[in-house]
Amino acid sequence: MSGLSQFLALAGDGIKANRLLWLLIGGFAVFPIFTHFADLPFWNDVAMRIMLLGMAAMGLNLVLGYGGMVSFGHAAFIGIGAYCVGIGEFYGLTNGWAHILLGMIVCGLMGLIIGYLALRTSGIYFIMITLAFAQMLFFLFVSLEQFGGDDGMSIDRAEFGLIDLYDPLRLYFLIWVALALVGLGLMFIVRSRFGVTLRAIKSNESRIEAMGLEPLRFKITGYVISAVICGLAGVLFANWQEYVSPDIMHWTRSGELMIIIILGGLGTLAGPLLGAIVFLLLEESLPMLLGAVAPAYAENWMILFGPLLIMVVLFGRGGLVGLIATRNQSTSNQKRGKAGQ
Amino acid sequence: MSQPILNLLNLNKSFGAVKATSDLSLTVMPGEIHALIGPNGAGKTTLIQQIYGAQKQDSGQISLNGSEITALSVPDRVKAGIGRSFQISNVLMDFTVMENGIIAEQARLGQSFRFLRPAFSDRQLIRGGKAILERVGLEKRAEQRVGDLAHGERRMLELALALATSPSLLLLDEPMAGAGPEDSQRMADIIEGLRGTVAILLIEHDMDAVFRLADRLTVMVEGAVIAAGTAAEISANEAVKLAYLGGEE
Repeated sequence: MSGLSQFLALAGDGIKANRLLWLLIGGFAVFPIFTHFADLPFWNDVAMRIMLLGMAAMGLNLVLGYGGMVSFGHAAFIGIGAYCVGIGEFYGLTNGWAHILLGMIVCGLMGLIIGYLALRTSGIYFIMITLAFAQMLFFLFVSLEQFGGDDGMSIDRAEFGLIDLYDPLRLYFLIWVALALVGLGLMFIVRSRFGVTLRAIKSNESRIEAMGLEPLRFKITGYVISAVICGLAGVLFANWQEYVSPDIMHWTRSGELMIIIILGGLGTLAGPLLGAIVFLLLEESLPMLLGAVAPAYAENWMILFGPLLIMVVLFGRGGLVGLIATRNQSTSNQKRGKAGQ
Repeated sequence: MSQPILNLLNLNKSFGAVKATSDLSLTVMPGEIHALIGPNGAGKTTLIQQIYGAQKQDSGQISLNGSEITALSVPDRVKAGIGRSFQISNVLMDFTVMENGIIAEQARLGQSFRFLRPAFSDRQLIRGGKAILERVGLEKRAEQRVGDLAHGERRMLELALALATSPSLLLLDEPMAGAGPEDSQRMADIIEGLRGTVAILLIEHDMDAVFRLADRLTVMVEGAVIAAGTAAEISANEAVKLAYLGGEE
């Protein structure tokens, strides 16, 4: 009883301290009302995609932003999660809760193995090793003809007890609940003793060793947690897409996740979600925009997106969240505006 | 005579053809301040690195409080009782002074592997962190970001973090390097205040400070000990004068 009230008080403090994150998550909760009255059901689909990629990016951000580990292979965990649904159904496992459990466990184990091996290196070697593992898994699934190989396999939306996922709103809110739980969990982790130690390792690993702590333990734990979150996103992704192929773990998706995080704000709770919103909205709108001006170039929307990304990185150190924060600070307190960030 | 805190026995370490540590033996007694001096390139920092565990010796033995630590990793040696400050300030630059203290406190308590409660607002940790800062008089700067601290204060903070684990042996690698006269004086006072509570192995180029602080000195040249003794013995030693004190520097 007092444990629960204590937990709620802690959660309340955390939510107050991370308004932007919960504003965004709250926004997703009411978004279907808007699409219903505006009669734009297509946008529910976009919102689900944003939530899924945002969730995965939030997971990656724990190691990339907070832990300073540049993992270039996190799409592999999304893929493993998604294939847990596909392969699970192939062998007659149709229960969605079981898929989630399986996806998270398998991703946790894979995260442990890959993390244990890759985290012995750092810098460019770490980037390359994580990429190599992701590529290995990519080609493994390409070669598994039994599970569709290159073409992938189509998926029936899983059975979640009373929740019929063919009702699009139920799928939407299943994803939303997962997103909110991931946000809540990460909010606790980042502020906890473990979280500040992870951030301190990013800041100065040798000082953490000098305090008698083994940095590798913390880094591997962070890596496993982020892998599990990406696995959860992957399970839901497969249900949303009703299809899974090796494409889901293509290395460009790992890059996409990194772009989303950097765009939104490295090492911030709200950054990855904000980044996912902006990234996917631009992905939707830039081709249309370009199509109106120069139809032949509509598919080359990246030509506009690239400079935009560069500008955000150059002028808003700390991404979009950094831009918002410095703006708030300079309007409320001109003196501190420059020093803060 | 009591048992030494640190006992180095026939330590050797080479980098290619360069002998950084040459058949070196040395003891540090409980509570003493033991200075390690010698010209640049004598291998002082390399020796500290081997005691600390960041570099592995080619041969020889290192014992702390009577038990051998030769095979232990850095974190395990810290747990066994070694604290360290580095030649270049080694603190958590992206955090405030207080947050540095808190992270050290939770590490000291063995609580760093907890996932629920926020660390920086935890009363117990704030109290402990403050106590860590008070040992070097930094509690007034608690809210300052370490990146904004003056150089001398950063060195104090590093000393505070090194002391946080309650070490039995403190390795100080040029704690006064680059500090102004005032900060050097303050640092010397703090080190003086530690005499008797923790054994200190001190590398320092400021000879006034060394001769004021050190109970015993060991002089190193090219990886080997050329003399060891009290301040008076060392300043009277002809070999030392030739090699170091009156020599090239």
